[in-house]
Amino acid sequence: MHPCRDLLVGMLLCVLHSGSLLNTAEPLIIAAASDLGPAMDELKWLHPQPITVVLGSTGLLARQIAQVAPFDLFFAANRSFADDLVRNGHGVADSAVLYGRGRIVVWTRAAAPAPAPVTLTDLLADRFVHIAIANPEHAPYGQAAKEALQNGGWWDRLEPRMVYGENVSQTLQLAQSGNADVAIVALSLAVAAPGGRWMLIDDALHAPIDQVAVMTTQARDPIASRAFLAAVASPAGRTIMRRYGFVLPGEALDSTLLRTPDAP
Amino acid sequence: MTDWSAFWLSIQVTFCGLAIAVAVGLPLAVLLALHRFPGRNLLEVLVTAPLVLPPTVLGYYVLVSVGRSSAIGRFWESLTGGPIVFSMTGCVLAATIAALPFVVKNSRSALEAVDPGLMEAAANLGAGFPRRLWTILLPLARRGIIGGCMLGFAKALGDFGVTLMVAGNIPGRTQTAPLAIYDHLLSGRDAQAQGLVLALTGLGILVLWLVNTWANPRPTDRRS
Repeated sequence: MHPCRDLLVGMLLCVLHSGSLLNTAEPLIIAAASDLGPAMDELKWLHPQPITVVLGSTGLLARQIAQVAPFDLFFAANRSFADDLVRNGHGVADSAVLYGRGRIVVWTRAAAPAPAPVTLTDLLADRFVHIAIANPEHAPYGQAAKEALQNGGWWDRLEPRMVYGENVSQTLQLAQSGNADVAIVALSLAVAAPGGRWMLIDDALHAPIDQVAVMTTQARDPIASRAFLAAVASPAGRTIMRRYGFVLPGEALDSTLLRTPDAP
Repeated sequence: MTDWSAFWLSIQVTFCGLAIAVAVGLPLAVLLALHRFPGRNLLEVLVTAPLVLPPTVLGYYVLVSVGRSSAIGRFWESLTGGPIVFSMTGCVLAATIAALPFVVKNSRSALEAVDPGLMEAAANLGAGFPRRLWTILLPLARRGIIGGCMLGFAKALGDFGVTLMVAGNIPGRTQTAPLAIYDHLLSGRDAQAQGLVLALTGLGILVLWLVNTWANPRPTDRRS
């Protein structure tokens, strides 16, 4: 389908769902895992209302919603955090939707003098002094990164070289600034980050990063909130998600995203 | 059960940071208190800027100025073999930056409050500057200086923003108590966080109490 038509269909869906909401000026506030930053910049245009996006680590945002933060929607990077919210009465059960599956990549600066890793085993090389991952204790992409390294049998040797970003976006920044030699981050960030090379990590090495969105019980405008969820699941929304490297329910990864397009 | 390793790391980092802040800050305070020179105001503004700048701004400056691709960072790495960022050195640097303004500001006020007549009298009697410094200026200003050190200690112990940005949050190596509390809370381990929260609260209050009652007593207290 043509992207423009996708966009139109998506907008139409929003309008159908939200009825007279076009007049409402109050923005929807969306708490999103930081891997969604670049994708949200595009997704928010699918909605007729203004949208404010609050980015952070999934654990932090879940914690804030449990303390009744004024977020209408929560886009978690991992199912378990969204499930917990529903279980504890802060999320609306029937609104929960799997909007994509995340993938992790090994990211290095294109300007780095040493060659980029081609396999995860290459990370053992001495030139990778500092390896940044998101904090595995509360950031789903960090959990997946640690799990992949553990399952491959590299973790024990690499752990002394690990540094931890507060969320996956800060983790990428650590490598972008040249302070960490390599970072394991979300493909959705690597796609949007200039000046880098990435290599996809086999998803057999870690539990699926099922990204689930849910409406909070304190959502001020449930109709508009559900309309936005529908917009993300619309063909236009799916086109955007696919482009940022999310694997959509019932699909395979866009094969052009296996590694940096210009990598040798 | 609270894991106290982050707390002890914090204590070590804070003492190191404070020691550097005193070594750098006290001479600066003497300079600012006793001498008029061009750029004096600018120097004072620079030294005390961390008090008013957002931690993220400070963290950004630190990353840019001592990060691994910076000139200072590379020089340090060639000298010691390890980078400043992601190491205890980074934590100590963050603590120093947090403590320095308090050390300088309070010491300077205390030094300026010393009667200049005493210094002149000692000079007329033939005492050189080092001797006047050690026997008159510093002893008379000691309460203010120690008060500044205590406040600097408390501030450095609680540093979060700069440490988060430059130290890499490595448990056991660069994860200080405030960062450990943050991680515990986000991971739902409230019980683990509580001990650290209480310890930091207690230390903070103790320091303020000491500063108020001992280092900067009110005039009515002084008589007793």
